[in-house]
Amino acid sequence: MKNERSQLFLNLVSSGFPIMRQFALSSFPDPAAAESYSRSIRADVLERMPELLEEFEKNAISRGVKVIWAGDAAEANNIVLDIARHKGVQYVTKGKSMITEEIGLNEYLIKNGVDVYETDLGEVITQQLSLPPFHLVGPAINVPPEKISDIFLKNGILKEPTTDPVTLGKAARTFLREKFRYQEMGIVGVNMAIAETGSFINVENEGNIRMNKSSPKTLVAIMSLEKVVPTMADAIHMTRTLIRNCTGQKMTSYVSFDTGPKKADELDGPEEIYMVIVDNGRSEIYKDLKARDILKCIRCGACMNTCPVYAKIGGYPYGFAYTGPMGQAINPLLLGIENTTDLYRACTLCGACTKTCPAGVNHPFLFLEYRSREIRNKNAKGNRTLVSWLENTIATVSSFGMSQGWAWTLGVKCVRPALNFLSRDGYIRDIPFGVQGWFSCRDLMALPDKTFHDRWKVLRNEPVPLADMAKKEVI
Amino acid sequence: MSMQAREEILGRLKSASKNTLAARPERPVLSEINLDKGQLLQRFTSELNAQTGAAYLATDKEDAIRILSGIASAEGFKSVLATSGEIYGVDIRAFGTKNNVSVSTVQDFSDRNAFRESAFTVDAGITSADFAVAETGTLGVIFNKDQPRLVSIAPPVHIAIVPVDKLYPVYEDVIEQVFKNTDKIPSQFCFITGPSSTGDIQGVHFKGMHGPVKIFVIFIMGA
Repeated sequence: MKNERSQLFLNLVSSGFPIMRQFALSSFPDPAAAESYSRSIRADVLERMPELLEEFEKNAISRGVKVIWAGDAAEANNIVLDIARHKGVQYVTKGKSMITEEIGLNEYLIKNGVDVYETDLGEVITQQLSLPPFHLVGPAINVPPEKISDIFLKNGILKEPTTDPVTLGKAARTFLREKFRYQEMGIVGVNMAIAETGSFINVENEGNIRMNKSSPKTLVAIMSLEKVVPTMADAIHMTRTLIRNCTGQKMTSYVSFDTGPKKADELDGPEEIYMVIVDNGRSEIYKDLKARDILKCIRCGACMNTCPVYAKIGGYPYGFAYTGPMGQAINPLLLGIENTTDLYRACTLCGACTKTCPAGVNHPFLFLEYRSREIRNKNAKGNRTLVSWLENTIATVSSFGMSQGWAWTLGVKCVRPALNFLSRDGYIRDIPFGVQGWFSCRDLMALPDKTFHDRWKVLRNEPVPLADMAKKEVI
Repeated sequence: MSMQAREEILGRLKSASKNTLAARPERPVLSEINLDKGQLLQRFTSELNAQTGAAYLATDKEDAIRILSGIASAEGFKSVLATSGEIYGVDIRAFGTKNNVSVSTVQDFSDRNAFRESAFTVDAGITSADFAVAETGTLGVIFNKDQPRLVSIAPPVHIAIVPVDKLYPVYEDVIEQVFKNTDKIPSQFCFITGPSSTGDIQGVHFKGMHGPVKIFVIFIMGA
């Protein structure tokens, strides 16, 4: 929070991005219809996920793709390492992929002797500085150029120090061109996998993914279960929505569709494509009918650009690959609700995220659900403590009181004299067993004996005081 | 191991209870489909210009060579890699001779590595494009033996020649043609919109991240 550049960027994102997004969305003749159609596609995917995955698998295999399923992160990492070892490659280059961040693929490959070069500019920087992603779309967008210059100099990417973003970007271009030129294996994520044809789509601006899908002989694509979409027509509509919500553009530089490896007579492109379908907890989430809404997410990042909490704290405090509201919604399911309480509690439930979401995820609903599960778990037999019992009892009594008019009135009548008993000189300065924090910086005025309703019963029968028009003063 | 993972994952997914799915709303209509030929070209050009790309309309093959020569001398090309010696009737070798630019074509290569080396060292790639889409000033390119992938991504400049009657209003018009015949789906198809770009450092945008820095599109009439 103290980093000025991060704050500057966050102000820019929260004020500028929604305008760009609105402008891009306005290129739809009917933006609301386009949004509700994309939400209906994602609802369809969620409902038919197992069938769609089977259809995708069947069609991809018939096109010559080698489809491999991975139950968890360790399995997925091993599969990729095995391929790299089998091919005997010295290094791999990578396109930006959130699922590989989630499973920690880079660390695993490097630990096992396969060098990994991230090729998305933002990822190049976060990889070299060992930083977590600050933002879904711009993972290093907050990093000051001085810092990038230093690390690029240290790693031999840059010759002279500079703070010019373009010079820094071009230095990375020159450095990575040599990697692309001699690469034997590329790894990419997947934006959409199309059940109907067995194709997969990548959406990008930089051209690094196209390089990865053109230059090497071996291509590994990694997708999580929810990336599947039913038809090519759906994919095109989702591409339009994804791009507008992701970067505020109408179209990215490249949208590439791969349907099987290269044909025998083609001069480039992968001879082999491995499609690794990663579960890593998602099939369990899928069985959880309330929580599985999050599997609609298409990772566009629009929610974090509109979130007032993200706008103040940025991406680092979320503590995992996924930041912003979508991170608050999925991280608890991947890491455990009991380990992530700060995530789903650090929310005002303002609903800006769900209003923005082109996939129709209801984030605040999920946060409330996680909160309720946490409390229920704390009060389950064996876990119960005095504090949790007390909280639970107070909440149960309050909820009863607030739902019944007579109980509320009675409660108020009892509480007022009790609170006022603690007052000195017209102020309540503390209450026993209670909310000490609340009183640390403020006092509560002693409560009047009568409530407004009590007073109104008498007041309503008195004549209404009239304004003295001559003096224009209201009595 | 992986078969077991597959069975377990699909098993869990299938064991989840089913909900009834609400009917989808009507597919939203796109306004671009009402544009006439002239408006399509205008829209394509303004969209591509917004991405710093340039579009030209060549009246015939000679006009196309004239436009190509203009680009070559402005950019100072010494070597180009073309997908073919003749693209939609435009004689790329003649263009090379006329402008003192060395021209290699895809047909000159049978070795994958030698071809890759060339793609990474030439000043420009000249390709055909199978389609153009007015919606966003986008090219549609089918990759196959005559159209290798690197020619349009590795060199710092990309020049595409496309018949003007291959200009369509929206992506769907193109996707329909590429994916309809399931026996003829290409190994890769790509929409290209402007040069490659990034904004990853401080949100400062610039063109030419990993792919081309510049893109030129030459529409040709009567090809």
